[in-house]
Amino acid sequence: MADSPHRLALFTSGAVVGLVLLLCLVALVVPYDPASAVDLSVRDQGPSAAHIFGTDSQGRDVAIRVLEATEAFFLPGLLAALLAVIAGALAGAITGYLVGPVREAVLWLLQLTDTLPRLVFIILVCTILEPTMGLIALVTGVLFIPSVATVIRRKVEALGSEDYILAHIAHGFPPWRILLYHIVWLQCRSMLVRQATFVFSYVLFVETALSYLGDYGVPEPDPSWGNMVAQAKSLGAQHLSPWLFPAIAIIITISATLAFGNLVARGDEEAAR
Amino acid sequence: MSGHVLLLLLAIGRRAVAGLLLLIGASFVIYLTVRTAPGNAVDAISSMATTEAQRAELMAEFGLDRGPITGFVAWLAEAFRGNFGVSLSTQAGQDVMALAWPAFERTLALCGAALAASVALALGGAILLGDPRPGQQFITGPLYVLTVAPAFVVAVVFAQGVNFLTDKYIVQGGYEPPIWHPLMGFVSASESLMPFVFAGVVLVASDGIFIDLLNALRAELHALRHAQFIAAVRSKGASILVHIARNMVVPVVSAFASRLPMVVGAVVIVEYVFTIEGAGYVLLEASKARDFPVVVGVSVLFTAVIIAVNICADILRAMVDPREVARGG
Repeated sequence: MADSPHRLALFTSGAVVGLVLLLCLVALVVPYDPASAVDLSVRDQGPSAAHIFGTDSQGRDVAIRVLEATEAFFLPGLLAALLAVIAGALAGAITGYLVGPVREAVLWLLQLTDTLPRLVFIILVCTILEPTMGLIALVTGVLFIPSVATVIRRKVEALGSEDYILAHIAHGFPPWRILLYHIVWLQCRSMLVRQATFVFSYVLFVETALSYLGDYGVPEPDPSWGNMVAQAKSLGAQHLSPWLFPAIAIIITISATLAFGNLVARGDEEAAR
Repeated sequence: MSGHVLLLLLAIGRRAVAGLLLLIGASFVIYLTVRTAPGNAVDAISSMATTEAQRAELMAEFGLDRGPITGFVAWLAEAFRGNFGVSLSTQAGQDVMALAWPAFERTLALCGAALAASVALALGGAILLGDPRPGQQFITGPLYVLTVAPAFVVAVVFAQGVNFLTDKYIVQGGYEPPIWHPLMGFVSASESLMPFVFAGVVLVASDGIFIDLLNALRAELHALRHAQFIAAVRSKGASILVHIARNMVVPVVSAFASRLPMVVGAVVIVEYVFTIEGAGYVLLEASKARDFPVVVGVSVLFTAVIIAVNICADILRAMVDPREVARGG
């Protein structure tokens, strides 16, 4: 039974995640032209009624840039999460169900993928190939397949000997249906949500980190929370709003996304007990 | 007893071989990534300032003039001898390992110290907080929000905070202690240490590593305290401390090994923010300059360390927990 702080936290994080999703969708629809946003008459202003987050050194409205920067990670994040969850669930179901050399081979490949240090490998790929966000999302999704697969495999192995699963087998349900519907879909949904939030927030981290470093990721003048935070280097503590608001946006988005995933999965685990 | 030792040695051997195979596999993935470059890798990546001789040398070094498998074997044979080629542009002509290894030692020390500090703090916190009680969410909740931010965000905010308090101590590309500030006293004595201290603090307080460890170790400790064998020991009137401590070794070691890849990811950017010339810094500089022998060398080193730490963790676990050996290590 979920206690009330748990429910409060779930509600809060869910509301924040919902709000961020809504803002991401708004940003996708609303067009933004970085060049025409420049207005040198209102440079370096603090927060005011006209510009609630102030303006940066080129007079661009920080609030609008924070909103439009969601475009940089939103679709790549969803793509990576979808890829990792679908491929990971399949790999987990296969390795949990099969015995013999195929299982060992898939397990070894998963273990191999898991040993590659994620950010280091992404930087390697960016060095060698054309570093687009689509490619980065793809690589991130693949790198997260093992962690999804491990969670699903453990669950499949644990449930495999449960009476009701044996009953399904006795009923003559095909194995793929028991695996993918009765175990993965009915029993692992909340775990997959949690894994998806991990992947999504990792893509957000990679995008902002690379944009912060400035070589890959999103280049100026296009907005990214990462390249906005990088303005701290030149502005410092004298003019906070151009870099502090995107930094807060990163912290809020990542913490709410991860918390939401964890709380959903934990609520489900406790309900199952 | 000797039978057990034999089994243990066997388990260690098996782990070492498995780890070596993993390293070879991971190197193959890294090698293949280099080969996926459009057209010829050498032309595509290092267009600037490569002479015809350098170009031929690179082609031979990475086996690009051969098929993927034979090329890989040739490259791997050199790599195992510690020869990852020479740097193209960051420090042209310098041997990759000679360039990367000193930086790598710095990074390892930093990662290890930060992770050890996180584990120690989390263990202390787990002991202090005790069994989960309602209301403790009001401690762990804010702690979660504060420490879950990505390392570079924490690093930037932290650096700006230090600069604000000390009137610009961290400047682009170095450190400049002002004439007066709270850090002055010990900065002059050990100036080179400060970036590491900053980076360590940021690594502990970012990416959710600390709060994740705290939750994991609290759950372990809670389960252990309420285990039946602990009740049995307690009813005998014996001290449970030794039993708790011994049984916490496995979760603590696992926690350390499993969070290492995350710290490795964070350290790359934290080193960059604080201008520490570690492996992450070298990696990013080389990546910018398209110096791919260095990037490949550093990537392989990072992978090797992660595998090595996992093997060590497995061996330690097997030594403490005989079930690990019985299960076949």
